[in-house]
Amino acid sequence: MRIRIHEECCIGCRLCEIMCIVKHSRSGKILKAFREEHPRPLPRVRVEEEGYTSFALQCRHCEEAPCIENCMTGAMHREEGVVLCDEEKCVGCLMCVMSCPFGAVQRGSEKKAVSKCDLCGGKGTPPCVEYCPNEALTYE
Amino acid sequence: MSERRVKYLLVGFSVASWWAARSIQEEDAEGQVLAVSEDEELYSRPLITYALGGRVPGPAYWGDVVCNPRVTVLWGRKAVALEAEERVVHLDSGERIVFDRALIATGSVPIVPSVEGKELEGVFTFTKGKDLLQVERFLARYPVEEVLILGGGFIGLKTCEAFLDRGFRVTLVELAPRLLPAMLDTTGSKYLERALRQAGVRVITENTVTSFVDRRGRLFGARLQDGEFLRADLAVLAIGVRPNIEWLSDSGLSLGRGIMVDEHQETSVQGIFAAGDVAETKHYITGERMVVAIWPEAVRQGKVAGKNMAGRKVQYPGSLPLNVVEIGNVPLASCGVVNPPDDTFEVLSRSEGDRYRKFVLLDGRLVGFVLVGDIEKAGLFVHLIRERLSLHSLKDRLLDERFGLIALPAEYRKHLIQGAEVEV
Repeated sequence: MRIRIHEECCIGCRLCEIMCIVKHSRSGKILKAFREEHPRPLPRVRVEEEGYTSFALQCRHCEEAPCIENCMTGAMHREEGVVLCDEEKCVGCLMCVMSCPFGAVQRGSEKKAVSKCDLCGGKGTPPCVEYCPNEALTYE
Repeated sequence: MSERRVKYLLVGFSVASWWAARSIQEEDAEGQVLAVSEDEELYSRPLITYALGGRVPGPAYWGDVVCNPRVTVLWGRKAVALEAEERVVHLDSGERIVFDRALIATGSVPIVPSVEGKELEGVFTFTKGKDLLQVERFLARYPVEEVLILGGGFIGLKTCEAFLDRGFRVTLVELAPRLLPAMLDTTGSKYLERALRQAGVRVITENTVTSFVDRRGRLFGARLQDGEFLRADLAVLAIGVRPNIEWLSDSGLSLGRGIMVDEHQETSVQGIFAAGDVAETKHYITGERMVVAIWPEAVRQGKVAGKNMAGRKVQYPGSLPLNVVEIGNVPLASCGVVNPPDDTFEVLSRSEGDRYRKFVLLDGRLVGFVLVGDIEKAGLFVHLIRERLSLHSLKDRLLDERFGLIALPAEYRKHLIQGAEVEV
């Protein structure tokens, strides 16, 4: 299963970013995630916008993933096709950030580890897709 | 004296060899691979600074590239000589290994300056797992407050990051007028120095240690070239590394600064390859011969070497220097040509508060960058350099911090995303 991007349908509302933050917050509650949890989790999907064009972009879970190859700890790894960062093993060397051709890996809010899309554990449709009002993201 | 015969021999068993082993086995599932390693166990060399800094318990490597039962590793054994034409490697144990194809991936060794007192207890180099053990043992045994790092290159900075993580007071001494001269431009070095100072590091440039001074047999401080005395309980010599090729002086291989290889990672002797920190390759942009001792190129060179060793001709496009450090909360990244040699190169730069971006172009194509503060899109810029994409009017937007995938032509953007198995 993959998240597909349909930029023609994106209206740049950034609901995907918000729902991603909620999903990866400690409480899983929107108000708590935004008002009480510090540091606030980073959205692992980012909307890029320019003029009337916009799209939501997250890790593409590449078949040959340079972030995995260039990871010096093996924290960046693949499980059932999904590229994941094991935050316990990550040292925040940022080589994956340097390696991602999409710019889809970010420094974490704490510098010890990086942050990227985990496809929400592969359990059902990720909220970024589920809450997209216009099917600019689909999960197939 | 025992003799072994093997189809594929890997001398050194770190990242370049791991990927070579995988590539060999993708092409030749039956071929036996034997590796020889000076180390006692498998670990990730650049992780030692992060282990020292306490970000991970140790330098263990967890990647699945090494989960390969068909590679036999002789641990704790060192190759002492190669007879290239005869295809024999001699080990320190007296064993001879006769091979069909070999990869030399013996990495680099630290350059130790001839400074008086460099043998004192408390003075270390820091490139291998055993250095980490020795430094940890020293820290456990003696009270340490002041740390001196000699050398403002990459290893010096990474070691500095680690000692800052651990809460030590650090002084960094560099002979050159600025830090990381190969990785950064002059402005980038200024940002780095500022970040170090803000993190509490004392930075001393255009100066060096002339002698280490002891008290009761242990390091107590260092005398600098200008006469100043610096207190130090622990010192790290990090003036640089050089390819580990001394053992090859009579081997028959062509040696430059490192082992000379062609675009197949093959040395001057057919059937013998080299990859990683020991190999001298061509720069991806300038074509200049050089050793680019970084993890990503070790991976790429190892893969190419492995494929060619197993009989599939694959070309290596050249080495692209890239690196990233983070001091305090300031990340600094660079790639490619950052100090253009003449004005055929075009330079775009913007410095604003604690952020800095610089792009170097040649014939309308991106060939290098320095980013300070915001490095989020660094990978995209690396990609543009590797793809040699002609930027045309796009180049005027590089300095905009919002520059991202969306700035690329729609068709190219879609091609890139589709290439990753996802339709747009």
